[in-house]
Amino acid sequence: MDIRVIMFLTTITSLYLNIAISLYGVIAKPNLVKKFIALTIAQDSINVTAILMGYRIWREVILQPPVLLNWNPLPKDLQDFVNRAVDPLPQALVLTAIVIGLAVNVFLVGAILHLYRHFKTVDMDEISKLKRGVIVEETA
Amino acid sequence: MKLRNIFFIALIAFITFILLIPTLLGSIGVIPPKDVRDIAKLYLYLTYNQYNRSLWAASPEAVTAIVWDYRGLDTLYETMVFYTAIIAALMLYSEILGYRDIVGGIGLSFIVKRGFSIVLLAIIAVGFSTILHGMLTPGGGFQGGAIVAVAPVIGIIVFSRRIFDYSKLSYKYLVALRSIALIGIVLTPLIPIIVTLGNAFIFQNQVKVLARFSYPSTIIDVPMGGSLTFLNTFEGIAVFTAFMLAFLILLYSEDLSKKPLEGEDIGY
Repeated sequence: MDIRVIMFLTTITSLYLNIAISLYGVIAKPNLVKKFIALTIAQDSINVTAILMGYRIWREVILQPPVLLNWNPLPKDLQDFVNRAVDPLPQALVLTAIVIGLAVNVFLVGAILHLYRHFKTVDMDEISKLKRGVIVEETA
Repeated sequence: MKLRNIFFIALIAFITFILLIPTLLGSIGVIPPKDVRDIAKLYLYLTYNQYNRSLWAASPEAVTAIVWDYRGLDTLYETMVFYTAIIAALMLYSEILGYRDIVGGIGLSFIVKRGFSIVLLAIIAVGFSTILHGMLTPGGGFQGGAIVAVAPVIGIIVFSRRIFDYSKLSYKYLVALRSIALIGIVLTPLIPIIVTLGNAFIFQNQVKVLARFSYPSTIIDVPMGGSLTFLNTFEGIAVFTAFMLAFLILLYSEDLSKKPLEGEDIGY
């Protein structure tokens, strides 16, 4: 088997494992900050996976980013560019996804800060206990 | 080992296999991909194809051409998602929006302030260069805006919030700047329709078969990408102001940040 194929498969597998472990972090960890860190790792792993889908294995030609360096291209140059460039579509999707992800992260940080100021803890188990206490008090 | 841990290890293995098996069976094509997909080839071939000017985007950078031309509407809606997230973050602190901080900080030492002043210029230069070269090199409005937004975060810590509260980068000016940038993003795709009295397409960058409108494709002899430059610039300003607003809110002093929580313990 070609070493490049093995390396590609290893990378894909490790990224999937990364996604699985970060999902575990989001589900299992009671600490909100740890949940948040796990979520950001999941975001980044998914982004890298998307970029990797647009990759192509190099055999005869050396690959290049989807940027045309020659500003007066002949038809031959354009064909050469198509043969050498990697897929720009996943890159375009990930480019916006990163910034939107950052905005969502800012919102989540704000929400976690809010919860911390209110309950004096970021532990979800503690917070649910405290809330249960408040509800019992109100209904008693 | 606790039963809970065994369950979670099994869960991780299960998720990995669920993702890996379809991939190995060819759900994303041959692994590793030997060639790019046909649609990608089309974008790559047309993005700066001067011999087919009815379909080109006048941008040597294929990613920017896709982001703001071929799939421009996608990006417009993504910008809306972005703003919804930022507005949600601001709404958490809706009661203190626009307030000046009650604690007057003095910032860090003189050496840090001078050192950062030099770095500040470099950050802003790199950010705006990324925004303005979006159609020539990797990057663009989103990335450049995020780079420039780093400057105020460090600035708040180094110089203290006070300097921003009393400057032209306070809440109300930033909101105005953000609104101008958003209006720019909305107007740029509409201008072809307004100028030609309806004989153009929305998000039209260069001349199309049925519509004779075109944004300039070059500045002197450098490719400009027509509408891409305007959209990148407005998006860059919008991203920068939105992040700066969010960071200004997050970095309020503890005393003022507790104000939105007042009354929550007795249920509003």
